[in-house]
Amino acid sequence: MSDRLDHDVIIAGAGVVGAAIAWHLARAGVRVAIIDATGPAAAASGASDGAVSVASKKPGVMARLASASLIYTHDLAAQGPLQAAFAARPAHIFGSGAAELAAMDTLAAKLNHLSGRVRVVADGGPDLLSGLGTGVDRLMTLEGEGHMPGHKAVRAYLAAPGITCIWPAPLLGYEVADGFVTVRLADRTLRAGQLVLALGVSSPDLIPGLPIVPRAGQLIVTDRGPVGALSGSLTAAAYLVAKTQDGAALPLLPVVIDPLTSGQYLIGSTREDHGDPTRVDFATLRRLLTRAATVWPALRDRRVIRTFAGVRAAVSDSLPIVGPLPGADRVTIVTGFEGDGICLSALIGREVARMLCGLSPDAALAADLAALSPVRFSKNRIEGAA
Amino acid sequence: MRGDRLMRDSRVLVIGAGLAGLAAAVEIAGAGLPVLVVDQAQAPGGAVHRQPLPGVRSIASGMQRRRWTRLMAQINAQAERIEIRCNTRFGGMDYTGDALLTGDGRALMQPRALVLATGARERVQPRPGWTLPCVTTAGAIQAELKTTAHPPYGRVLLAGSGPLLLAVAAELVRLGRAPVAVIEAGHPFSHPLSALRLPASYLIEAAGYLLRVKAAGVPVLTGAHVLAITPSADGLVVRVNTPRGDRSFGADRIGLHDGIAPNDAGLPVDGPVPVLRLGDCREALGARAALADGRAGGGRLAAQLLGRAAPDPSADLDLQRQAQRRLGAIYAHDGLTRLSDLPSDTVLCRCENRTLADLRALGSNPGARGLRLDGRFGMGPCQGRFCAEWVGRLSTPAGLPLPHIGSNRWPSRPIPISDLVDPSAEGLEP
Ligand SMILES: Cc1cc2nc3c(=O)[nH]c(=O)nc-3n(C[C@H](O)[C@H](O)[C@H](O)COP(=O)(O)OP(=O)(O)OC[C@H]3O[C@@H](n4cnc5c(N)ncnc54)[C@H](O)[C@@H]3O)c2cc1C
Repeated sequence: MSDRLDHDVIIAGAGVVGAAIAWHLARAGVRVAIIDATGPAAAASGASDGAVSVASKKPGVMARLASASLIYTHDLAAQGPLQAAFAARPAHIFGSGAAELAAMDTLAAKLNHLSGRVRVVADGGPDLLSGLGTGVDRLMTLEGEGHMPGHKAVRAYLAAPGITCIWPAPLLGYEVADGFVTVRLADRTLRAGQLVLALGVSSPDLIPGLPIVPRAGQLIVTDRGPVGALSGSLTAAAYLVAKTQDGAALPLLPVVIDPLTSGQYLIGSTREDHGDPTRVDFATLRRLLTRAATVWPALRDRRVIRTFAGVRAAVSDSLPIVGPLPGADRVTIVTGFEGDGICLSALIGREVARMLCGLSPDAALAADLAALSPVRFSKNRIEGAA
Repeated sequence: MRGDRLMRDSRVLVIGAGLAGLAAAVEIAGAGLPVLVVDQAQAPGGAVHRQPLPGVRSIASGMQRRRWTRLMAQINAQAERIEIRCNTRFGGMDYTGDALLTGDGRALMQPRALVLATGARERVQPRPGWTLPCVTTAGAIQAELKTTAHPPYGRVLLAGSGPLLLAVAAELVRLGRAPVAVIEAGHPFSHPLSALRLPASYLIEAAGYLLRVKAAGVPVLTGAHVLAITPSADGLVVRVNTPRGDRSFGADRIGLHDGIAPNDAGLPVDGPVPVLRLGDCREALGARAALADGRAGGGRLAAQLLGRAAPDPSADLDLQRQAQRRLGAIYAHDGLTRLSDLPSDTVLCRCENRTLADLRALGSNPGARGLRLDGRFGMGPCQGRFCAEWVGRLSTPAGLPLPHIGSNRWPSRPIPISDLVDPSAEGLEP
């Protein structure tokens, strides 16, 4: 590419999605820079759980993409950048009452149909998992899924050579002309062949009209204790309902208990229609912990040391937005991952990098990736070039 | 609760039953408003008036006892409107105005206003060995003396800087356990008395302590710094750097103290109801100031809540502020510059066992997010209460503002989950 350019590609947004794209581009020899208004993992990626989970995805596009991303994440962890970030571990799903049990039937059928890496290794009563408390009618254990804290993945990707990191540097605007993109920062402008907008929930700031709304979730961290008491995540089946049936009334609280490698527990979460990460409240904390400690009584010996909220970027049709921005040549938009960005980041990073290098997508995924194109909103008048 | 909001409580919630909190409670109740005072300790008193355990005689001075008796009489005169719950911790106040209390007085309530009077915390600069068992703050030794009227076991050494070291040393002498040494980083005695311009009460108190300590033959080394504390076959060995060379002392118990700072980690700055910080929690100026600040602040808050004109501010506070500033100058030393010379395996964050080497691995000026997310500094149960200051200084090039790694979000202290979810928890039921 040309010397008139500061970088071949500039990525705005150093969340897990931007970082994954940067790593794949750098590995392909592309001169890539990543800028962020604040710093790495400053938004959703630094304030989330990190389930790399197929079970929780809506059947269809999302489940197929998640399944492919999970397999690829395993690869990147085996001998790639995600070695220290990703940990494989079982996933336990529990349910109580008719609605949750039905959701577990649907899950079993979906996994069977996908025939991916995730398998049901046990399905039965609460006695399948020692340490379980009360309020569990059925327990299902899956193998093949894993956990990856967003901030660890971002750090791992950006540690690779060949990525220029620029922060704090908010992207103020951009213009496309004469075969390149001019990117405006507070103290300078940069020229690049292509611009990627991976701004998460802030994307509408640069692309007015993009149908993205904030969806906050509260998370709780406990102090440390004996590691290994719980072998993997313990997720209420209500969570599957929350994630797969838009607007469904939840039978019970969709709590997720995630044992971290540090010996701490991470417990989540809620889906609240606002974008204020400072909103955490005791009533919610108490409701989440009440269900959590009922099914996993060992939590009663722990203390809450931190609570925080993250803000997901939710799209009106619940699908991420990935592809060239209509009307703005050389600008690609990658956002709207709501509660699935960490899970999908590896695959999306690889495929967006291919797209930017002019390569066609993995054939098996071409149709699903096409479904994510922002073209589907063109009628809504999303505007390129802010 | 189950998602519904709680009823607003008519009470003002005061956190801390020390001088500032109780003085504020007297004023607020005196204006006709009900007050709930909570304290994590077993009895009211705070740092200065910490009460002896049942059956133990008090070691407080006559002056201290008189002040306390007077304050408690004022509290008792308002008993109808003041409730004091001890063994009760404040978990925080969330954005909806819910305040969480755990322990004996556990409750989730929406107070009419919140007064934070949580006093001061002791600063302890990291040094090799500062996290060993039997190494505590000097204030913790003082608290032990006040509650048990018994000196700790074995040889006691006090080190750091500030007037508290001599006060604790004098108390130990009085209880028959003279410390093996007092290691003071400053040069407080090199100033002619007349130049100090301190209130007479300060000078009389300090002179009394010094005389008693010297009379007992306790070495008081000034301009001296602890280099390292190491375990040995019979206790601990303390290596000390003095202007006349290095020395070693054996000890069984060590009290460290590098001054005091407001104990405000994790406390709300504001909220949906008025939030006020009083006493050392607002500005660490000591007992006299805390009493005056508590009174004045309590009066102001009551006036605000009742829509009355605010009373005149007290002039007493300025006096105490000047005195503290002079004390600071008298005890000035270069201890902070020694931070960067620490051995790289020195623990900075004791919660997560993070060392100076871990900090340096983050590169220069990692900022608050890098320190927290990548370095795990300020991420343990104390949320940076103890290490934030030192980690900030060590990681920030001179001249730049210190990163804010301690969080001012609740929980201000770890919250036992059992306290939250226990269905029998009084006050926590909808
Ligand atoms: C409570 C919670 C739990 C979750 N749990 C999971 C889970 O278990 N599994 C999972 O897969 N996903 C989970 N997620 C979702 C996941 O966190 C997100 O989908 C993912 O982090 C999104 O990554 P991103 O890179 O698209 O956006 P972000 O991480 O939000 O990154 C956007 C970046 O853009 C920067 N930026 C914004 N504006 C500008 C500008 N003008 N100029 C420059 N930079 C700018 C921001 O500073 C930020 O760093 C969870 C989310 C939450 C909130």
